[in-house]
Amino acid sequence: MSDPYSVLGVSPNASDEEIKKAYRELARKYHPDNYQDNPLADLAEEKMKEINEAYDLITQQRGQGGQAYQAQPGYQRQSAGYQTSADPFSQRVRQRIQVGDLADAERILTQEAPVKNAEWYFLMGSVCYRKGWLDEARQNYQMAVQMAPNNMEYQQAYAMMSRGGYAYQPYGNQNMAGTEACDCCTTLMCMNCLCGGGRGC
Amino acid sequence: MFGYVRPLQSKLSQEERETYQAAYCGLCHCLKRRCGFGARYTLQYDFVFLALLLEDAPEWETCRRRCAAHPGKPRPCAAQTPALELCADESVILAYYKLRDSVADEGFWKATGCRVAAGLLRRTYRKARRARPDFDDHVARCLQELDQLERENSPQLDRVADAFARLLSGAAPETGDPALDRARRQLLYHLGRWIYLVDGVDDLAQDVARDRYNPIAARFGQTPDQDYLTTTMRHSLTLAQSAFQLLPTTAQSGILNNILYLGLPNVQALVQAGKWGRKERK
Repeated sequence: MSDPYSVLGVSPNASDEEIKKAYRELARKYHPDNYQDNPLADLAEEKMKEINEAYDLITQQRGQGGQAYQAQPGYQRQSAGYQTSADPFSQRVRQRIQVGDLADAERILTQEAPVKNAEWYFLMGSVCYRKGWLDEARQNYQMAVQMAPNNMEYQQAYAMMSRGGYAYQPYGNQNMAGTEACDCCTTLMCMNCLCGGGRGC
Repeated sequence: MFGYVRPLQSKLSQEERETYQAAYCGLCHCLKRRCGFGARYTLQYDFVFLALLLEDAPEWETCRRRCAAHPGKPRPCAAQTPALELCADESVILAYYKLRDSVADEGFWKATGCRVAAGLLRRTYRKARRARPDFDDHVARCLQELDQLERENSPQLDRVADAFARLLSGAAPETGDPALDRARRQLLYHLGRWIYLVDGVDDLAQDVARDRYNPIAARFGQTPDQDYLTTTMRHSLTLAQSAFQLLPTTAQSGILNNILYLGLPNVQALVQAGKWGRKERK
């Protein structure tokens, strides 16, 4: 393994606190949530493994082996992935998607589908999403949700599209710090509105 | 391309601003040296981004140079590197095709102007094509697909954008490192979709008035749901950003970060608000 300090982007003289901060920032960056259903998820997972190992090594070297960051197992968890489906057609398509053969998954969906049910629309949406065809992905997920409103998996996929995906925001914290005072006011104002509104009713 | 890919200048550090400026001047000089004087007029911000993205040298060597546009004090200018040379050639190839496209689509006067410009650029283009035959083939193929879909007045927004997105994802050469290549291609693909959509929004009113194909109008009609558009465009940016995070850190990462997280959302907001003026185009 390469130098664990350079993996975390810190100097070997950095304090424990600085190292923890750098590690947390990187863990936030490569969090599986940011790469859910993303064709690059495997690369992000690799990065996550690298920084976890680097962090473990540093904490061990510094004699804090027992205090390794508790959130790690959570960060390492795989994205929920696909629920198993009893339908063999669906299973076939899901398997093609999982190994990244989108062209074949799409071919099976368009040429061999027995019916266009909610599952079909969901799978088509999944293929579109991985191709970066976001407009069609959203349309297909929406169709799936309309046809099977109680399916959690479809709902999650559609909600993710409506939100515009998951992302790590490097400037997020900075902006927050700059407008902290304002945020306070806004929060108070919001609370005020809510309370006032409540009384009004 | 279109000049939408640029940093938010106010958030660049002094050092980053100088590097960006040096890359810009470096690309301009590179265009002139490799492809001749006319090539300089193809210079665009988008290719400065590409040069910054593809540059893998730990630090850019800079020299100071004067040029016709800045005759006064010599300005810092990035030395010629393989990445700059590649971007110069690709810039000329795309500019030439764009002019040819305008000859076919524009009205008489503008088409004549473009025909003259394309004529002047032809020798330069041939040089660039000789240097990058694969990219030239790739661009020709993608543009032909795009042209076909536009002629059919295709309402399939993603399919039309896909032709342009694939074109752009071919701008990064194979490095032999599969992880790096995959991440770069994904970044450029999503960026390409975003550029195509932003351009569609930008041209919407004009295209509708002239009865020309517009991907946004073909999909959503003349008054698209702005929230839906904002979300789908931002989503492409999000995916480009996620791909960017998987690239190795280089000396240029700070500027690229600024462009992807601040510059592009800013441009999108300006275009959607109709505040993207002619003066910003270049």
